Amino acid sequence: MNKKSFSILVSVVLAFSLLLSACSGGSGGANNNASPAPSDEGGAKTEETAKPEESAKPAEITIMLPLNTAETPPDTIKNEIEKLTNTKLTYQFFPADTYEEKLNASFATGSLPDVTYLKNQATFIQMKEAIRDGQFWEIGPYLSEFPNLAKLKEEILNNTKVDGKLYSLYIGRPLARQGMIYRKDWADKLGLGAPANVGELYAMIEKFTTEDPDGNGQDDTVGLADRNDLIYGAFKTVAAWFGTPNNWGEADGRLQPEFTFPEYVETMDFIKKVRDAKAMNVDFAATSKTDQVNLFTSGKAGVYIGSMQDVNSLVKDLVKNVQDAVVDTHSMVAGPDGQLATWSIPGYNNVVLFPKSAVKDEAELKGILAFFDKMMTPEVANMMYWGKEGVHYTIQDGKAKAGEDQELTEREVKGFKDSVIGEPETNGMLEGFHDLPARIHAEQLVLENEKIAVPDPTAPLDSATFTEKGTELQEIIKDATYKYMYGSIDKAGFDKAVEDWKKRGGDKIIEEFNAAYKK
Amino acid sequence: MQQTVVRHRVRAPKPRTSELKKRLWRNRWLYAMVLPGILFFVIFKYVPMFGLAIAFQDYKPFKGVGGSEWVGFDHFERLFTEPDFLMILVNTLLLFGMNLLFFFPVPIILALMLNEVRLSFFKRTFQTLVYLPHFMSWVIIVSISFVMLTSDGGIVNELLVYFGFEKINFLLSPEWFRPMYILQVIWREAGWGTIIYLAAIASVDPQLYEAARMDGAGRLRQVWHITLPAIRSVIVILLILKIGDVLELGFEHVYLLLNSMNREVAEIIDTYVYTAGLRQGQFSYSTAIGFFKSFIGLLLVMLANKLAKKMGEEGVY
Repeated sequence: MNKKSFSILVSVVLAFSLLLSACSGGSGGANNNASPAPSDEGGAKTEETAKPEESAKPAEITIMLPLNTAETPPDTIKNEIEKLTNTKLTYQFFPADTYEEKLNASFATGSLPDVTYLKNQATFIQMKEAIRDGQFWEIGPYLSEFPNLAKLKEEILNNTKVDGKLYSLYIGRPLARQGMIYRKDWADKLGLGAPANVGELYAMIEKFTTEDPDGNGQDDTVGLADRNDLIYGAFKTVAAWFGTPNNWGEADGRLQPEFTFPEYVETMDFIKKVRDAKAMNVDFAATSKTDQVNLFTSGKAGVYIGSMQDVNSLVKDLVKNVQDAVVDTHSMVAGPDGQLATWSIPGYNNVVLFPKSAVKDEAELKGILAFFDKMMTPEVANMMYWGKEGVHYTIQDGKAKAGEDQELTEREVKGFKDSVIGEPETNGMLEGFHDLPARIHAEQLVLENEKIAVPDPTAPLDSATFTEKGTELQEIIKDATYKYMYGSIDKAGFDKAVEDWKKRGGDKIIEEFNAAYKK
Repeated sequence: MQQTVVRHRVRAPKPRTSELKKRLWRNRWLYAMVLPGILFFVIFKYVPMFGLAIAFQDYKPFKGVGGSEWVGFDHFERLFTEPDFLMILVNTLLLFGMNLLFFFPVPIILALMLNEVRLSFFKRTFQTLVYLPHFMSWVIIVSISFVMLTSDGGIVNELLVYFGFEKINFLLSPEWFRPMYILQVIWREAGWGTIIYLAAIASVDPQLYEAARMDGAGRLRQVWHITLPAIRSVIVILLILKIGDVLELGFEHVYLLLNSMNREVAEIIDTYVYTAGLRQGQFSYSTAIGFFKSFIGLLLVMLANKLAKKMGEEGVY
């Protein structure tokens, strides 16, 4: 995203909104959010198909979603879905990197399609204002009419409600995938077991650095590889092990942000200690994920903390460089007080909304929901998530084993994969078959993690100030956290940053979250 | 007296309009050719300017410009009372100042030096090589710098250690951010910038050089008394244009270099618009900041233009 494309975007947005308001101004101005429907014809057709007996005419649905691959996928999978669900689908893929811009621009010009995928929880929070304004269909009352949609998990749906009303379907993700991936061969050589607590974790990281685990006689290894991401990098996961609450926690009966808890400071001290001992990549505040992964796969670093499901790609590249490397996953690391904990996401990573500007009436909405209802059957969900059986995957032990040709799957299926609503338990999709022991272990740990997962208490809550300034304010804390870990500020300096955060709007956020929490 | 003046005015337009019409008609094809250009500016530059209205509104995309609430100068107030405002403004202006001071002369010097090269093969090859980086994106340039400068095995730091110096944390230290930025700008843009100057130098009348040589002027004297004065107006115009882009410091470039450790020197208006405005979908606030930025740009251009005219140059308007 560069400046120029931004200014073009804004100009286009502005020009269009001017036009729109000018047009609607004539019709009384009350209806200025109305926009031309993409196709009135399509609406009429869906109305027919919405009837339960399903007339022969397929429902026409336009879907906008983020694309996580370089190329738009071919129609192979789309055609299959159309056959299975009796629909005529138009997929509008937009690169995930710039999806927010696209979303905002389409929204401003009233050109959102029938089915609009957001990008993540953050974009969902931004949309809340528009949702409250009545720009999207409330779908809660209709869910019970659809047997498969009714299976969606209640607690996750609750996390996605706005003022107690449901407007969206969710794309499910395991609650807690975080843990560590480490070099088992190094640990065995140095006589170390999987670290049971943070003390042992430090010992492992240190010994991986100083005791020449790769046995080449050179001082060329580091314990930990981290990157410039406090959440999906090592920091948040380690913080959870130390007992830090997940974003917000309760202290003296009130919700407080995580960085006001002593455990947060202990975590910073931990990373600082590791960095001071040069037992990690000391430039981690400027290291990208690619560079972090390279440190691990080149056999230079021994511990990677983040999503345990990254293990497949890590091992794939690692064995190219170090043929006899053995890797394992681990997540049960107790804090100083002996307690196990991990942080969890609210159970979804994205949601789907149905704009009123495109979906004209209830009948059309029901037609679309019927499509999603069918998406939650094993045939459709598997088709979208795994691809065609025999081409993109095979079934082994009742699980889906990804095909040999990963590039083909990446090209043809990946685009649809991230849009399947629900999770295997609810949509009957096949679980993945893994033959890599570390990955099998990781899948077990993900289930174990759920038992000790700490949820974010603010996930279903709202704060206007947070929506407006949250990201900007978070930068203050992010900077202070890095500076503390790099030793350029001390505890007093960090406290000052927290005060600064509070003064510039943080106090209001605390107030607003607590007010919502009490309700 | 007054009467005559008035009568004069009333009478005058008539022949003038028909004259104008005649002239328009006579040059109709020329005007027709200008039309697309004018339309371009009207549609893409002037019409969107009305959108600046949202800087004074609490703009909601779904309500449109017509339906959003007017809030006066609220967004500007928020900007000016932001504790980081001064820091961001100073960073932006400093970076711009350094850009002008250290980067702007480089293409001129390079062009003068290239002009002295007599071996045409060498000259052309060299020219191509130095402007090639212009076609690389900032992502690539910053990545290359990262690989070279990282303190985990980057070649520059390895060399420093080899020669017995301390490692320098280029990527994370606030002191090194600005030099790194300027060097990268020079690396990428200097060669490209020479093209215009070389063209200007090529148009200098060779007779002047011959005359100077007759008078016994050496190479340096020729450069000083002939080449430089000859391209002076080009330099001034490019300088004014450059100042107009005062705050176009390259969002992408700075954003890629920005991290938690150097934010106090690296946060500029563009990156601030992105973190505070766009990522949170705050169009009004972003627009207000953009408006403010353009305003500074306009002021600086007017100032530079005035200076140029004082110096006896033409200026851009």
